[in-house]
Amino acid sequence: MSGFVHLHVHSSFSFMDGAARIDDLVERAARLGMPALALTDHQGLYGAVRFYQAAKKAGVKPIVGAEVVVEPAGCSGDEGDAPPRERLAAPPPAGFGRAAAQGFHLTLLAKDRRGYENLCSLLTRMHLGRTGTPSVAGLEDLARCSEGLIGLSGCPYGEAGAAVLAGQTGRAERALRSLARCFAPGDFYVELMNLLVPESPRYVATLATLAERLGLPVVATNDVHYVERRDFRLHDVLAAAAARTGLPGPYDRQNAELWLKPASEMRRLFASVPRACDATWEIAERCDLDLGLGTFHFPSVEVPRGETPYSVLAKAAWSGLETRYRPLTPAAVARLERELAAIQQMGFAEYFLVVKDIVDFARSRGIRATGRGSAGDSIVAYALGITDADPIRYDLLFERFLNPARRQMPDIDVDFDSRRRDEVVAYIYRRFGDDHVAMVATVQTMGVRGAVRTAARALGFAPREVDALSRNLPWTSASRLREVLETYPECKGHPLLDTERYGLLIEIAEELDGFPMHLGTHLGGFIITKEPVWTWTPLQIAGKGVAVAQYDKDDVEALGLVKMDILGLRMHSAISDAVALARARVGEDAVPEPFELPHDDPAVYEMIARGDTVGVFQLESSGQRNLATRLKQRDFSDVIAAISLFRPGPLEAEMIAPFIRRRHGLEAVTVPHPAMAGVLRDSYGVILYQEQVLRVAEAVAGFSLAEADLLRRAMTKDRSRAEMEALRERFVEAAVARGVERSVAHEVFRQMQGFAAYGFCKAHAACFAVISYASAWLKRYFPAEFACAILNNQPMGFYTPRAVLNDARRHGVAVLPPHVNRSRAEHSVEDGGRAIRIGLKDVCGITQRTLDAIAREQKRRPFLDLADFLRRTRVELPEAESLVRVGALDGLGVTDAGRPPTRDEMLAALPELKAIIAREGVAGDDVLLVAPGRAKAAECPEHPSGWSLARRVSAELELLGLSVSCHPLDLARDDLARRGVVRSRDLPGVADGTRVRVAGVRERAQTPPTRSGKRTCFLTLEDAEGLLDVVVFEDVLQQVGDVIVNNRAYLVEGTLQNNPERGLAIVAERIEPYTVRAHGNERVILRRGVPAGPLGPHRGTASAPEDAAGAVVDSTA
Amino acid sequence: MGRHHAIKQYRPAERLGQPLDLFTEQTSRSSVILELLKSPWIVRGAQLARGPLGAGKRREEPVEVAWDGSKGAPAAFVWNGSRYRVDALVQSWSVERAWWDPRARTSRRCFRVLARDGLYDLAFDRTEGRWLLVGIVD
Repeated sequence: MSGFVHLHVHSSFSFMDGAARIDDLVERAARLGMPALALTDHQGLYGAVRFYQAAKKAGVKPIVGAEVVVEPAGCSGDEGDAPPRERLAAPPPAGFGRAAAQGFHLTLLAKDRRGYENLCSLLTRMHLGRTGTPSVAGLEDLARCSEGLIGLSGCPYGEAGAAVLAGQTGRAERALRSLARCFAPGDFYVELMNLLVPESPRYVATLATLAERLGLPVVATNDVHYVERRDFRLHDVLAAAAARTGLPGPYDRQNAELWLKPASEMRRLFASVPRACDATWEIAERCDLDLGLGTFHFPSVEVPRGETPYSVLAKAAWSGLETRYRPLTPAAVARLERELAAIQQMGFAEYFLVVKDIVDFARSRGIRATGRGSAGDSIVAYALGITDADPIRYDLLFERFLNPARRQMPDIDVDFDSRRRDEVVAYIYRRFGDDHVAMVATVQTMGVRGAVRTAARALGFAPREVDALSRNLPWTSASRLREVLETYPECKGHPLLDTERYGLLIEIAEELDGFPMHLGTHLGGFIITKEPVWTWTPLQIAGKGVAVAQYDKDDVEALGLVKMDILGLRMHSAISDAVALARARVGEDAVPEPFELPHDDPAVYEMIARGDTVGVFQLESSGQRNLATRLKQRDFSDVIAAISLFRPGPLEAEMIAPFIRRRHGLEAVTVPHPAMAGVLRDSYGVILYQEQVLRVAEAVAGFSLAEADLLRRAMTKDRSRAEMEALRERFVEAAVARGVERSVAHEVFRQMQGFAAYGFCKAHAACFAVISYASAWLKRYFPAEFACAILNNQPMGFYTPRAVLNDARRHGVAVLPPHVNRSRAEHSVEDGGRAIRIGLKDVCGITQRTLDAIAREQKRRPFLDLADFLRRTRVELPEAESLVRVGALDGLGVTDAGRPPTRDEMLAALPELKAIIAREGVAGDDVLLVAPGRAKAAECPEHPSGWSLARRVSAELELLGLSVSCHPLDLARDDLARRGVVRSRDLPGVADGTRVRVAGVRERAQTPPTRSGKRTCFLTLEDAEGLLDVVVFEDVLQQVGDVIVNNRAYLVEGTLQNNPERGLAIVAERIEPYTVRAHGNERVILRRGVPAGPLGPHRGTASAPEDAAGAVVDSTA
Repeated sequence: MGRHHAIKQYRPAERLGQPLDLFTEQTSRSSVILELLKSPWIVRGAQLARGPLGAGKRREEPVEVAWDGSKGAPAAFVWNGSRYRVDALVQSWSVERAWWDPRARTSRRCFRVLARDGLYDLAFDRTEGRWLLVGIVD
């Protein structure tokens, strides 16, 4: 025999302790002619499913296993109780988290399905065991779960290996003896590794002798951590970074031999024990795991006696259809029959019932829920109340969702009211049982920042330097690091450009691209199984204490398990809130349920067409507003079209301009074949939706819809030329057979091919459009309630709370300042829907305790003055200061001067008042006489606060992130007028191509991908009257990139674009920072509420004040 | 002959045991030395001390080495002007350290060989591409 099979292999899914990508491993094993390959990552099966698929594809037999930490087996009692001479040093802390130092390594391989299940449950038992303990396998657990498993005694950090190296042969023998007892006879091997260190010959010989004495077989492995020898650097870097040490890292490896060596090399290393190499073959032959990919496993659904899941589903769907369609149409009946038959034939009835069960629960509790995605293509989902867009009316095709010709697990995503999502999740656990539900994982991989940080930490740079290096890098893949550094304007002057010092770091960071860093929890994915979930996947505890599977969504799908995405949508919460506020004001019956409205209100469409959509779901971004002014939506289909048009695909294919020209009759609608005209009537001959690709194939070539969907899928994926040719041939022949001219058929195919990849799923757009309409309707008729609800559900949407509030102000809603006697914690609506009262919860630094105290005291009686407030609420000094500065105590109490105290006076009195209250307690009710004075004279005597407007606005922006008194640029009105700045309100009246100068505060900065690959920055600015869109092309961006990143308000000079085709925007030529100064030359500070866009890093969050440098509008202009 | 046959045969406690003359001639002597050097339970003083090369006499001198491709081991080396034929390869190991520091980096493939009844450590330096004599152990 001459071959060899590697049975101890770590991939990058050993999380920071493996530098081998799974595909590379498999590919190399296949190239070396190895018949099988094992994957034994640390403590889990994270990469198992990918590995299994890749290996099957490459014709290599996959052996799934794991390397686990087991408790010491060879010493009686605690390790610490043994005399120091006999203690064994624990393995280094790499790859195992906290478990590392608690036991020794052991390699496990699954022989069959039974072994796989046992491995999953052993790993689950380890990770979920007692809370707070490290994940170490006990010997009893090991023995209980060892059926179907093969155990290998482990690397030099296994107990036997470590004992041999420490010269404790007796300990090694005891350990091997008791580990072997955990496995079936013949299933435990002594693992030999010749890692070419000076101790190796002694290590191998001793273990082989011990094995002989104990009658155990031996097997050779190489502890593979990287594919090629040259990758050892990555392994060292990862291990060092994981252990939070500098190089050489926790292992202090003497050499770099842990690569996937060819059989000849392995045979030579084990020339003295050839049977150890033979054993690898034997083990590979004994392992034969079939994960049964391609079959589906549904959770159990209880159905009444005498019913089947299908009959229950069909009954529910028919009764749902009756309520959805009044009167019931033959088209609907036929469609439902067809879909039910397809679902029956594919066997997905249980899946629909599970989704229905969850959605029904949400509905019964009044939790808003809407389906999204291609599920909207199904009339069954519509009838069951899962989705809300009529599939017949909007021509949504079932085959796009579930193709009978392609049996694949359906995927119905449902959005729930995000505030009440937890109730739905709790229900799922209750309904299906804790043992049958687990969360889906996501694998966090290294982007450019992670890679730079990891490499820099390992190379031993100081933490401060590491921060400086990873700061100001854009979010891209690490493999582009060098290119990004050289070309991006915001990287100008970046420390990493010093290649002398950081050359090696950059080289390593680039190689680290895409490595898994740690396991995260998927936002809303749940696995639901019939069998206990740990027989399918190992579970572990995630951050929040929930059990999360070790597989991500693709793995779960490959295993054929049911995955439900329970997503939270804040817009649902906002709509619920707005409806509740409106009903509280005008009465329960006066406000209809916005999701049940007929979509036919011209006033709503008129508002959308004006681009007046701040806050409206999916239609509020600057691009959508710009599109709306050109598209002029008139009905619901136009809303669907708008949502579909402004997507990366259609944008990249530049579909918007022809669509709009044809819509407004500026360009003739031409289609190569008359049959297409009917199909594409809604989109003026442009193939916009994926569903239309199906329709065209049906109309022109007579394909069935199922066939057409296969064609579309084939066109969407990257296919080779030959495959594409074959598809074209089939399509053209079918069309010609129906009497279509050959050249026409070719042209139709070309168009389909061009748009198939870019088209958008119409069902998804339709599902979203329902929400868009509901939110637009609320904005139209209840602007105050709608804005208030959006502010209460932050963070959400495209705009900052500041812009949402300013937008409400422009709609005639008054903004009332926060006040301890009138504000609640949340923002609220006052004055019959004409005003928003700012709530207290957004005041910087305020605690829940204070909010509760204020609410409690408000119910008793209003606060009389500052002292009364302090005494009754017992707020801390900083909170009280913030409340005073933001004006929440304005106008309370009377001073000697016979007027309420100014903010300065209150601030001056605060510490003393606080001290007196602390001393006197509640008893000192009427002795609070504080000497006035010390505070400086009021700047603005006419306002009760005594503060100038500029100072008030600055304080509001700083503490609330909102400008309550007025827009900051209002203060600089004169200065802006003097500089000839055009206001956003006047822009539509300015001619196309005029040079203009505008000013605004940055709202968003986006640099989306474009077809040419050039970077174009879309800036959304806000001035006192409205929003402005500024386009910064690459050449200008090179000069002003850092100005955009480092400042908040700008003066922009450029050419105005104002035509129906391109819409309204300013093409920037110069951008300079602008300091907002009020009349008295007072500077307004825009401190919070302006997040940095994707151009630069996120400097500070919306709730945390930033560092002083970024706080000011600029450094004196 | 099984492993450590000579030693296993020596049973001083048994009256019938025969003391074995270990060193009758040159050839048998080197095989016994090799056997002893490879014995797992004999820990050599050189190995107890820290450092990859043990605590033998360390030196670093360039030598010329004749490579035996079929065995994957050195066949002979020339040191101090005289040629040493390699009698046997005792063990080999590899060293890869401090790759991140260009001044301190060591990347070597080492061979401990028996020649003229002495133990010599030869190392091929992968960074410089030359052979070194790095130690004379005994």
